[in-house]
Amino acid sequence: MSKKTLPRNLVMSKLTHKFINKKSAFTLFATSMLSLGLTACLPNEKQDTKIVINKNPYPSTYQALPAQSTLLTNATILTGTGERLDDADILLVNGKVMQVGNNLSAEQAKVIDMAGKWITPGIIDVHSHLGVYPNPQVESHSDGNEMTSPNTSEVWAEHSVWPQDPAFEAARAGGVTTLQILPGSANLFGGRGVTLRNVPSHTMQGMKFADAPYGLKMACGENPKRVYGSRKVLPSTRMGNVAGYRTAWLAATEYKREWDKYDSDYSAGKNPQAPTRDLELDTLMGVLDGEILIHNHCYKAEEMAVMIDLSNEFNYHSGTFHHAIEAYKIADLLAANGNCAAMWPDWWGFKMEAFDMVEENAAIVDAVKNSCAVVHSDSSTTIQRLNQEAAKVMYRANENGFALKEEDAIKWITANAAKSLGINDEVGSLVAGKNADVVVWNMNPFSVYAQAEQVFIDGAKVYDRFDDKYQAKSDFLLGQNLSNHVKNQATEAVTAPVSKPVNKPSTTSSTK
Amino acid sequence: MKNTYLLTSLRCALFGAFAVTTSQVQAESIAITNATVYTVAEQGILSQATVVIDDGKIIAVYSKDEVPESLSTDTLIDAKGRILTPGFIASQNLLGLVEVGAVSATRDGSDKKADLTFDASLAFNPKSSLIAYARKGGVTSNLVMPHGGDKVFTGQSFVVNLSGEFDSVIAQKNAVMVSLGSSRKGSRALKLQTLANDLEDAQKSLAKAEKAAAKNKKAKGKDKKEAKEPSRSQKVMYALLAGEKPLLAYADRATDILALLKLKQQYNLDLVLVGASDAVLVSDEIAKANVTVMMSAIDNLPSSFDSLHNSLANVAKLTKAGVKVIISNSGESHNINQLRFDAGVAIANGLAETTALAAITANVADTFKLNSGRIVVGKNADLVLWSSDPFEISTKVDAMWINGNAMSLRSRQDALRERYTADTDMPRAYTK
Repeated sequence: MSKKTLPRNLVMSKLTHKFINKKSAFTLFATSMLSLGLTACLPNEKQDTKIVINKNPYPSTYQALPAQSTLLTNATILTGTGERLDDADILLVNGKVMQVGNNLSAEQAKVIDMAGKWITPGIIDVHSHLGVYPNPQVESHSDGNEMTSPNTSEVWAEHSVWPQDPAFEAARAGGVTTLQILPGSANLFGGRGVTLRNVPSHTMQGMKFADAPYGLKMACGENPKRVYGSRKVLPSTRMGNVAGYRTAWLAATEYKREWDKYDSDYSAGKNPQAPTRDLELDTLMGVLDGEILIHNHCYKAEEMAVMIDLSNEFNYHSGTFHHAIEAYKIADLLAANGNCAAMWPDWWGFKMEAFDMVEENAAIVDAVKNSCAVVHSDSSTTIQRLNQEAAKVMYRANENGFALKEEDAIKWITANAAKSLGINDEVGSLVAGKNADVVVWNMNPFSVYAQAEQVFIDGAKVYDRFDDKYQAKSDFLLGQNLSNHVKNQATEAVTAPVSKPVNKPSTTSSTK
Repeated sequence: MKNTYLLTSLRCALFGAFAVTTSQVQAESIAITNATVYTVAEQGILSQATVVIDDGKIIAVYSKDEVPESLSTDTLIDAKGRILTPGFIASQNLLGLVEVGAVSATRDGSDKKADLTFDASLAFNPKSSLIAYARKGGVTSNLVMPHGGDKVFTGQSFVVNLSGEFDSVIAQKNAVMVSLGSSRKGSRALKLQTLANDLEDAQKSLAKAEKAAAKNKKAKGKDKKEAKEPSRSQKVMYALLAGEKPLLAYADRATDILALLKLKQQYNLDLVLVGASDAVLVSDEIAKANVTVMMSAIDNLPSSFDSLHNSLANVAKLTKAGVKVIISNSGESHNINQLRFDAGVAIANGLAETTALAAITANVADTFKLNSGRIVVGKNADLVLWSSDPFEISTKVDAMWINGNAMSLRSRQDALRERYTADTDMPRAYTK
């Protein structure tokens, strides 16, 4: 890939401020100063154009669907902040939550009586392979895991996403509004994950969550050592796994040092030679810079503890542990270190590292102060019922001494999930100013009979259980079940209009 | 019903050479009073009813008005209005044949060399940690369906109860499994041909043997020959042709299903369709042929070109068309306790509650001739007392009986949770 020469400050401005760490802020400042003409004071050697890494070469083109101001009234609202409001209203204006409370009114808003319904933030799944392991599950679509090297930090899941995966529609019907698509877990470093808005689109970019940080998929345990051990390549053991991570982080540290030196030398007016771009190391450097978040497939307590030390050794944050079957054994450690743990309620036994499941795992993690318990799916089936997955944890825990309520459990699939993905300033809770991602449920969403009736993303209705107009259908399923027979064919032929208006191909996403 | 039971016993005697009959439990007599009893039988739902069990069987079911003034049982349990159902019967899994999926040494459900005589019940492990966990979902018995080999005939299924005791295999080799439909290699046509040819060959050889036997009967002295013993495989095929063993046929696409219905008609097979993702396209034909469908209630994605019509509403649709459905959580052995939630999802998508209950109790019992699945006199006392609605996530099993024995509802998972939530200054390993 050719070297990108976009000015770094331009690229940086596209990132939200919270992801700019001190070092980047300094670079931004320095680069801006350069553009103000400081070059006049610098040594004589003429500077080449600065080499800047374009950090967003596949930018989001997502645009919210058509929306109108909407006031949903008289519902039981779980805000995602631990609160439950009864007989409450929520006002959605310009794609944002404008107000949540009782007896709201808005002159221009469409008012919908939601008496008896429950309203929650849009559901967020931090661990999904929709689009990269889509349905139908045919070889041609198996694009989720580049199993050719233990370190494939250079691959990006977004380049594999098939937006026509019918599972996106099914997940939307289950209230899922945002999801992170991750590469698989065969490698120590599986590559970058991407966070998507769950809107129908015929391009990946049309779904991409604009300001969400990238994730880097890492994997502990059995999978990497099995896949590469069988090929007589490191790792074949867990100690080989860790050696593999350390080797990679050493290289990334060196790479970052080279780029930092280049940046500072250039800022000092010198004309340094830019380091050679390396896609694999770009991603790892992004983690060291705090711009890319770690999403670590890691089941076992002792391995998570090692991964935390590893992150301290190389000065990055160990992020979210996924499939953290044994998180309950180290709940204190996870909270103290600021890790999220993403968990299933009850999957177990398919591997040795999944043997010590307890159904109360998420509840035990959640009980510690400053914790971040997340319930995830990793499944095109259970992603459709994350509400019930969270319910299982809540009820089993309450049978065993916990006193969890719906307003607590909803956080595991909304606010905490948003925190794990670094998007909690935008989504995950129903608070004034946040994106209007809303699910209306026909009843308490923690019931087995619960159905999402209406789903809103950025204030726009993207799904309605009772209105076919709001039920999108993937290209793949379109026309699969057409009738072979035509009624009154002759009549139709005669009465058909001579020339039909040409349907212009739509350039934006649409629900149909 | 009594006849059915006799028939089952007879079949066990005939075809289960090593059949382990359920040991005569010394279960105490129990009366469960004031229960809301879902009989899954003609009586429907009885409120404030009493169920009496003795010697492992249900010996009386009294509606509110029929309850005698005194009940002389060892134990009296006041259900306080809670729901009592038959124990659920799971199916289509490897329970007892796998401990850890990826640990091949703990897997006994498949073998390359397996053919239609494959009897994985010999490998069943009643001490598997999966069993106690499955009981938490109200599952009291299970149709184990090993994956077998890579031939069209993959082997035979067996039935177990979830008592965790060494005598928990109820029926060995109770049905024959075939795997049809698409595969990455080869043609589905050859699979159907193999099945059809094997049935035809068996029918011919059976006719030949019968003819020879008849001829032999008439013959005298030297002409009398010793009847040729059929091979083990032939015996299985003859049992299929006699309708003595159901044929469990995995197939999703409608064309495969129709081909199977044709074979059923031709050979009078006791056919059960398994998987059946696209069965909705031919629901009338299936109903007319009186064929039971065993399927998942939650597989709603077009996972293959054979399954383009998967939907959460399929169980309800098939049932409306008159098809008898068994709900199974396909492929899952470790989480069969979720069977009730799958049934709940089916209810949320249009299935009647009583039909959903039958789909995980009576329908399985009827199809495989098990003496359970209903709360009526004479059935095994496999019962579950629920804290509330059996399908709801907020509900739990309050009590369970298998063959009249009260079962523990504690699993290894409980021990782990207690260890790591205990208040202790010592390393967790001391908390036991």
